[in-house]
Amino acid sequence: MSKEKLIDVNDLATYFHTEEGTVKAVDGVSFEIYPGETLGIVGESGCGKSVTSLSIMRLIESPPGKIENGEILFNGKDLTKLNQKQMRKIRGNDISMIFQEPMTSLNPVYTVGDQIMEAILIHKDVSKKEARQEAIDMLTKVGIPLPEQRVDEYPHQLSGGMRQRVMIAMSLSCDPQLLIADEPTTALDVTIQAQILELMNSLKRQFGMAIMMITHDLGVIAEVSDRVAVMYAGKVVEYADVKDLYGDPKHPYTWGLMYSIPHIEKDLERLEAIPGNVPNPLNFPEGCKFNTRCQFATDKCRVDEPELEEVEEGHYSACWHVDKLEEQKAKQGRG
Amino acid sequence: MISYIVRRLLILPIILIGVTLLVFSMIMMLGPYERLSTYIKDPAELKNVDVDVLVTKLGLNDPWYEQYGRWISGVARGDMGWSESAGSTVTQAFLSRFPATAELGLLALLPVVVGGVILGVFASVHHNDFWDHVSRVLAIIGWSVPTFVFGLIMLMIFYGTLGWFPPSRLDSWALDIVNSAGFINYTNFFIIDGLLNANFAIVGNAIRHLVAPVITISILWWAFIMRITRSSMLEILRRDYIRTARAKGVKENVVVYKHAVRNALIPVVTVAGRMVLGLLGGLVITETIFNIKGLGQFMAQAAQQLDYPAVLGGTLYFGFLLILINLCVDVSYAIIDPRIRLE
Repeated sequence: MSKEKLIDVNDLATYFHTEEGTVKAVDGVSFEIYPGETLGIVGESGCGKSVTSLSIMRLIESPPGKIENGEILFNGKDLTKLNQKQMRKIRGNDISMIFQEPMTSLNPVYTVGDQIMEAILIHKDVSKKEARQEAIDMLTKVGIPLPEQRVDEYPHQLSGGMRQRVMIAMSLSCDPQLLIADEPTTALDVTIQAQILELMNSLKRQFGMAIMMITHDLGVIAEVSDRVAVMYAGKVVEYADVKDLYGDPKHPYTWGLMYSIPHIEKDLERLEAIPGNVPNPLNFPEGCKFNTRCQFATDKCRVDEPELEEVEEGHYSACWHVDKLEEQKAKQGRG
Repeated sequence: MISYIVRRLLILPIILIGVTLLVFSMIMMLGPYERLSTYIKDPAELKNVDVDVLVTKLGLNDPWYEQYGRWISGVARGDMGWSESAGSTVTQAFLSRFPATAELGLLALLPVVVGGVILGVFASVHHNDFWDHVSRVLAIIGWSVPTFVFGLIMLMIFYGTLGWFPPSRLDSWALDIVNSAGFINYTNFFIIDGLLNANFAIVGNAIRHLVAPVITISILWWAFIMRITRSSMLEILRRDYIRTARAKGVKENVVVYKHAVRNALIPVVTVAGRMVLGLLGGLVITETIFNIKGLGQFMAQAAQQLDYPAVLGGTLYFGFLLILINLCVDVSYAIIDPRIRLE
């Protein structure tokens, strides 16, 4: 890829300084997103995916949270160096965000029209009347029936799927270059999930923005992403094209996640889950943070933390024992 | 919205009848001879009269519903009997004392609600800062000191020692002016009448007399409204839609004052409704301490002197007031929160 990077996150570290100790929610994360592509960020809850996105938006509550290290280059500008006033010009305009819970992400005391218009009026030089028309247009684009009527309704009059459409309409109303979607379908039921993902894919083609799709759902990632970063305990452990990652995972954690997806063609007695739990962020293990749950772990893993390394072209993994994983995969392939 | 208010107004008569029945049942708990006193306009009427004859004549042994009918038609005409302690009819006594109480109550209420909310929002935005701690300490003090203690301390310091804020409603020189022929009493609210008569000395004097009682009666509620607003704000500021607003690029003070405050006001309105009732109770103590001839002081005296008609009339009056306040609270809810309008 020779294109200009839209966003380039380098060695980002966001810590929360709490009374119990320092939580290293994000600890040395790097990735980049090119214009018009979708980067999936996948991981279990608490792995730091949401904190990464909120760090980009500079919406980490401070105190206790603080971006300790790294840079977030957006069109070459380091967002970590901007003040809040400069950030506000970017939020909702160049980078916008949709959230997990459509039921609680809209303000209950204002109409959906008011809330969409607010974003338009902040970032565009238009009259109230024009903003209202734009809000109605956006509602039409996200497939809300009777937009002229819905624009004056309150969030509680809409279903969860409709509210998420409103959120999408709001986030796209200023034509952003990057849309951060933090688990946009998690709270919705499956048929609505599919509709929302389809909508996001079609809007992406229409608006040409890049998407950073955060989810714990590998199925969602497969459906929308071009490339994927797998996060575990505040770090990116594997980073590759979506096809490479699914076809040939190079990190034991990703491999474990794949095995915990039920497959319709395989008749399994029970699903393989990754043993153990996500480590307590106040008390991460020494060395590789996955060592407590990894079947390939050796003494080296308990002391030294592996760095993200290119194991195949464009395919990065942070593991000392990629070879052992390959052996295991070969064995299972035969058996 | 309008249909919501209309529905509320339609229930109003039912509640009013309920309140009158309640008060009437209190009257009926008294024997016929005691109840006789509510009908006697002048103690002189009782001289050289057989009380039993009077009881029969007034129908005090009739079935309760007949008595209720007569009583309620009297109340409707403003006839609630004779108040021995006031030396006038209950209605007259109320009317003459109402302005003093209303002046005090309104001056206490508005600053409390507005000021308490502003301070609460301020404290929540400065969560755990120096100013948050200061406001917390002041609130604890305000909330802990009983009105009667606080009132006496105010009187001691600001009247006894400093001589700034005297008790009663006006100085005697001002009373002379107010009662003189040249001064027209439009409303009996001295501040308003002073302004209407363009007599600013009266306005100033009335305000000077109101400072101490207003502070006394409202200090507790300042603290309370502030704490409720603060905790409500802290909860709302953590909500997802606040994050959404910030993610849109909304300025922080717009986030606080537009997106958060309106949501945070919902519990505050509930408390403010209760507060008005609390203020009515506080009026009794405050008016007594500062020698203000208002309804609170009148009710306290009437109770002490077993002046049944005045006490029952007062109960009815405060009952009606309570219903009105509840109506205001309900309507405020509907204005603030669209989810309530459609229920």
